[in-house]
Amino acid sequence: MSTSVIGSVVAPLRSSTALSVGLGLIALHLVLAVLAPVIGVHDPVATDSADVLAGPEWTHWLGTDQYGRDILSRTLNGGRYALLVTFLATTIAVAVGTVLGAVTAYADNWFDEVVMRVVDALLSVPSILALLVVVTVFDAGLWVIVLAVTVVYAPAVTRVVRGAARTVITQDYVTAARARGEKPLSIVFREILPNVLDVVLVEYAMRASWIVLLVASLSFLGFGANPPTPDWGLMVQENRTALTVVPLGTLAPIVALATLVVGLNLAADGLSKSLGVDRATQGATRA
Amino acid sequence: MNRDTPATDTTTSTTTQDGTTAAVRVDDLAISYAAGRSEVPVVRGVSFTIAAGRTLGLVGESGSGKSTVARTLLAHLRTGSRIVRGSVVVADQDVFALSPSATRALRGGTASVVAQNAGQALTPSMRVGAQIREALSAHGEPDSPERVAELVRLVRLPDPDTIVRRYPHQLSGGQQQRVAIAMAVAARPRVLVLDEPTTALDVVTQAAVLDLVADLGRELGMAVLLVSHDLGVVSAMADEIAVMRDGEVVEHRDTAALFADPQHEYTRALLAAVPDGRTRTGGPDHHDQDPAAPGTVADTTAHTGPPDRPVVTARDLVVRYGRGLPAAVDGVSFEIGARETLAVVGESGSGKSTLATAMAGLVPAESGTFTYADDAATGDLRQPVGARSPELRRAVQLVFQNADTSLNPRRTVGAAIARPLRLFTGSSSRARVADLLTQVGLGPEFATRLPAQLSGGQRQRVGIARALAAGPRLVIADEITTALDVQVQAGILALLADLQRENGLSCLFISHDLAVVRGVADRVAVMTGGRIVEIGPTERVFTGPNHPYTRTLLAATLEPGVTDLPDVDDGVQHWRHADGWTDHGDGHRIRNWEDA
Repeated sequence: MSTSVIGSVVAPLRSSTALSVGLGLIALHLVLAVLAPVIGVHDPVATDSADVLAGPEWTHWLGTDQYGRDILSRTLNGGRYALLVTFLATTIAVAVGTVLGAVTAYADNWFDEVVMRVVDALLSVPSILALLVVVTVFDAGLWVIVLAVTVVYAPAVTRVVRGAARTVITQDYVTAARARGEKPLSIVFREILPNVLDVVLVEYAMRASWIVLLVASLSFLGFGANPPTPDWGLMVQENRTALTVVPLGTLAPIVALATLVVGLNLAADGLSKSLGVDRATQGATRA
Repeated sequence: MNRDTPATDTTTSTTTQDGTTAAVRVDDLAISYAAGRSEVPVVRGVSFTIAAGRTLGLVGESGSGKSTVARTLLAHLRTGSRIVRGSVVVADQDVFALSPSATRALRGGTASVVAQNAGQALTPSMRVGAQIREALSAHGEPDSPERVAELVRLVRLPDPDTIVRRYPHQLSGGQQQRVAIAMAVAARPRVLVLDEPTTALDVVTQAAVLDLVADLGRELGMAVLLVSHDLGVVSAMADEIAVMRDGEVVEHRDTAALFADPQHEYTRALLAAVPDGRTRTGGPDHHDQDPAAPGTVADTTAHTGPPDRPVVTARDLVVRYGRGLPAAVDGVSFEIGARETLAVVGESGSGKSTLATAMAGLVPAESGTFTYADDAATGDLRQPVGARSPELRRAVQLVFQNADTSLNPRRTVGAAIARPLRLFTGSSSRARVADLLTQVGLGPEFATRLPAQLSGGQRQRVGIARALAAGPRLVIADEITTALDVQVQAGILALLADLQRENGLSCLFISHDLAVVRGVADRVAVMTGGRIVEIGPTERVFTGPNHPYTRTLLAATLEPGVTDLPDVDDGVQHWRHADGWTDHGDGHRIRNWEDA
């Protein structure tokens, strides 16, 4: 049993380079974020007026910014914040969207109508504007951002999962469950959700890459993390005026952000391919 | 084969025994498929020729490689498969040595294919006229509206002027298949490949479509390769038959000779498994672990008239899918007795499956009475399943047509069976699951497998085990063998008969296959347009006298070994309903009709 579980995890990795590179990049970011205090020996918020706008040197590998803060430490610690917000916001948004999507798809009655019209309304609001309003009203605490991003992205996930679930509902095993008198929620969780899991996983990776960018954009615009919190968006905003003096101050957070987004996108791409192929060869979908 | 050889060098002039040039020559063809790091041979050394105007039937079970061979005539290989050796020569061209543009000219131009499911082969968002025009212009044929109309008339579609303006979903399955055939013959191909062309159609439509293909083949002088698992279809259509098994042709002879005196043991087994509509035995099943003894239905009831104490009673039952829609089941009355099998036959759209879903409580009945009564449970079958008592839900169980989609692909076989056990009996144990798996001819070791790891027949056995888990009194079997190969079908039918005898089950058996019905049913009801037109003991219905619709159904049934196509007049109905019924005794009742 355990070997088959390991096999099912390893097999798609071997078949898809995109997936292994993507997951590798994400893993690298996770490791760096966890080990940030160990690798970046400097306090990310400690200023040093004697050593500002320095280039790369032995004590500061990536140099320092205009306040003499170590860029390496700030970049590494900025990843912790970005990953935490992304993980929380994506998980909650995708979880809420998945359950809502599957339930509304199965319900197909007034409840479905009401939820989907609310979803339409939320989808019609530009996400960055909605976030700006929320952050302006409630201030930019971690949970405010997480919940605001959830409200912005859960509707989109709901739509996608609802579409996937509707094709599952027409399958005979759902009819069989109805015919033996199973309760609706039991049908949703036992029969429908396991079969839209591949869509949900891909959706998760996709949304995560968007949310990373969204959170960075917020900080860049000055509505996200408050200074002097180490944050990628904020770092780009702070250091762009000194772009010609210490380019690494801007480039380091950009490279970090780019590799994380590329990693998430590759993972999403690889997941969708390997899960799709996996289902076809297992006979779950007939080609 | 050597892929570098120029096309001109491999061009060979091939001749058949009678001196004419063969349109198709397949020589020692071997194809293998890459599965992970190993290669699985799917076709091993197949050779045949087809002369212009001749039809070769390729039969075999699913996975025998027959479709793979057929598609090579259009230079098509599934991704991951590769030609190991041999050659395919169509109209004097080695198809795998052609340039990409020459391959495109071959496909649809020299050789064309009619796929199994025309509903999926046609573009849903394009009018059928435009699709036919596209087939013409793609091969440089004149594509005027007149030419399109000519093709539409050639395939005998009704109303050529208006039908070209319709979308595929506005056509019936038979009409869709005719459009697909029109597109296939648009460029006057020399070779026509038919891949299970009528599997998705009911018998009457099937006979009409086959009749069309046979005429077209003669008129246009095409070499036809007909792939089918249905021996009846092949015997009516083909001049010669090649029987394939595991990628090899085990027997290749003239049709009449093959049926008269099959040489290979596999051919004999295949023929023996065909329900011949006379005996009530199931044949051997080589692909599922079958109980040693093939099942036979003991003749428990000498009296086969309507049952004295019916389990299910329906009176003037009406089922409608939505307000304003025509009734799918329109005033139907019948009974099912204890331990009795009532078969309902009819073409697609006749309302027979609606009747099954209504009985299972998945669509509510609109009016009429529909009751269930046995020793343990009584109830109103008009109620949806949620409103039924647990006893009634338990007593009535459904087995689905397509076992592929009726099992949750993410759940093990054991979990699929354990769920109804827990739901209806309050507890489930590994032993009970193993016991049920053994009952349906599988073993306890199947409990940990996923549906994808099973064959079609094994999946259907799991579907039956799941229904049995509830401890039912009445099983609704909705076309349960339609998706299965003939030998597997025989095994499933035998299993059902055994289980029914052992457990004393009643059964509503829905089928479009009259030969199957004759083998399993005590009584038969014939449905068309939502109404029952004839009901009676099986033998009385098969011997007549009959309602004209039943006669059409009986005439359209293709029996293996019969080499003539039935004349079904393109399925045109020549009667209309009249009031009242005529009783022919012994419970054999026929609805009155008048000529139209």
